[in-house]
Amino acid sequence: MSETRQRTGPDDAPGVRTMRGCPVSHTEYGEDSELYGHYALLDAEREAARFHFNDTRPRGFWMLQRYDDVLEGFQNHAVWTTRVRSALNPEPGIALLPQDLNGKEHAKLRRVLNPFFSPAAVRRMEPLAHSRCVELVEEVRPKGGCDFVAEFAIRYPTDLFLSLLGLPVADGEFFLPWSETLFAGFFGGDPKAAAEARRNILEYFDQAVNERRAAPRDPAEDMVTRLVQARIDGEPLSQEDILTICMTLMLAGLDTTRSALGFIFTHLARHEEDRRRIIAEPELAPAAVEEFLRMYPLVIQAGREVQEPQDFHGLPLEKGDVVWLGIASANRDPRKFPDPDRFVLGREGVNQNLAFGAGPHRCLGMHLARLELAVVLREWHARIPDYRIRPGVTLTERGGQLTMPTLPLEWEV
Amino acid sequence: MFLSIDADRCMGHGRCYSVAEGLLSDDDEGFVAQRGQTIEVPDGLLPDAREAASACPERAISLREASRPLGGAGADA
Repeated sequence: MSETRQRTGPDDAPGVRTMRGCPVSHTEYGEDSELYGHYALLDAEREAARFHFNDTRPRGFWMLQRYDDVLEGFQNHAVWTTRVRSALNPEPGIALLPQDLNGKEHAKLRRVLNPFFSPAAVRRMEPLAHSRCVELVEEVRPKGGCDFVAEFAIRYPTDLFLSLLGLPVADGEFFLPWSETLFAGFFGGDPKAAAEARRNILEYFDQAVNERRAAPRDPAEDMVTRLVQARIDGEPLSQEDILTICMTLMLAGLDTTRSALGFIFTHLARHEEDRRRIIAEPELAPAAVEEFLRMYPLVIQAGREVQEPQDFHGLPLEKGDVVWLGIASANRDPRKFPDPDRFVLGREGVNQNLAFGAGPHRCLGMHLARLELAVVLREWHARIPDYRIRPGVTLTERGGQLTMPTLPLEWEV
Repeated sequence: MFLSIDADRCMGHGRCYSVAEGLLSDDDEGFVAQRGQTIEVPDGLLPDAREAASACPERAISLREASRPLGGAGADA
């Protein structure tokens, strides 16, 4: 390995497609595809070689694909940091907190936020999740069909997010178009519109934070009050950091939940036997959610930047290298989860899936996400147990971070 | 049987106490309250202990037959 380690470019003698001795992948993961197209590519690459060097970006990235490697990568947080958060987009245009912090600084901020995202804390939101879910289901039910993504899946987490910040659920009406425009900007949408949406959102948060400074609520129950009153090493958080935290929670929580719902309902529309069980035994919802998280991860990768040279099981990594922690590859690795394409309720080891990452940066909102998804499984199927995908529709998924742009469902009224 | 939870590996996924409610509990931040401890598992809760260990994505939970002094050569992880 020491010899290949000297090289800076691909070992590109004709026909040799290796980089520092590692096979090179030219697979583009940022483009839209037919539904499940990305999983097919990821599965094939994972089985072709343990590691790949992907050269589709100016800063290529080293792909870890097997479950054990990906987990170890997440746990290698002291050396592989979030200076790069996404291997596909290593130069982030937008600050995120707490993600952008590492080590002790990161841990301190997580301790401020953790109490609002613990299972006990998110249970406080359960009644609201149920009532908001029921309202939205009842809105679409009489119509006999809807675009599940636009009319249900994105509205539900948006409303709950606003409520988490202590903001009126009714604000979703104008907030949602902003967040959608901003998000679209990350995936090829109009950059000018995205910048304007970002300004609107920050202004909206700014106002909410200032209101809470003027009229604090109970910091044990109200997150914005807690952020305003929190001290880290004796210092308050800056207004800018508080706004960044709000923005981060929004970016992390809305698109992902919507996307998970799209994949889950596609599966259930197509698999009568799995749907029947959830209808008959609603208490299985949390177990079903866990297996769906394993089977259909939306965040297919997390990026990291290598801070010091390291040999990772024969992969010679250098300072500044970008690493791809293949979440979707790991969750669908047959070495860890046999028969990974099968939906198995109560699958052994399912709780060890890496949909929410691992290590100190594991998803802060994982418990809220689980709760939100389980509530939908229960409430939707109690009201619309049978539904189908509108015949003739071709389903697609966005690249980069998977989501279904549309999912037309129909049912008998 | 003894169950140990490595405080450095535990990241608060909360899978252990959600599958082993009778054995483990959560703290204010959502971490398992027994983080960093070794506890003796009552015989009736052995299946829960095994479930908890195999539910941890960080591999922070270990089981062993007899308690050994913490920090000794046999201390896990």
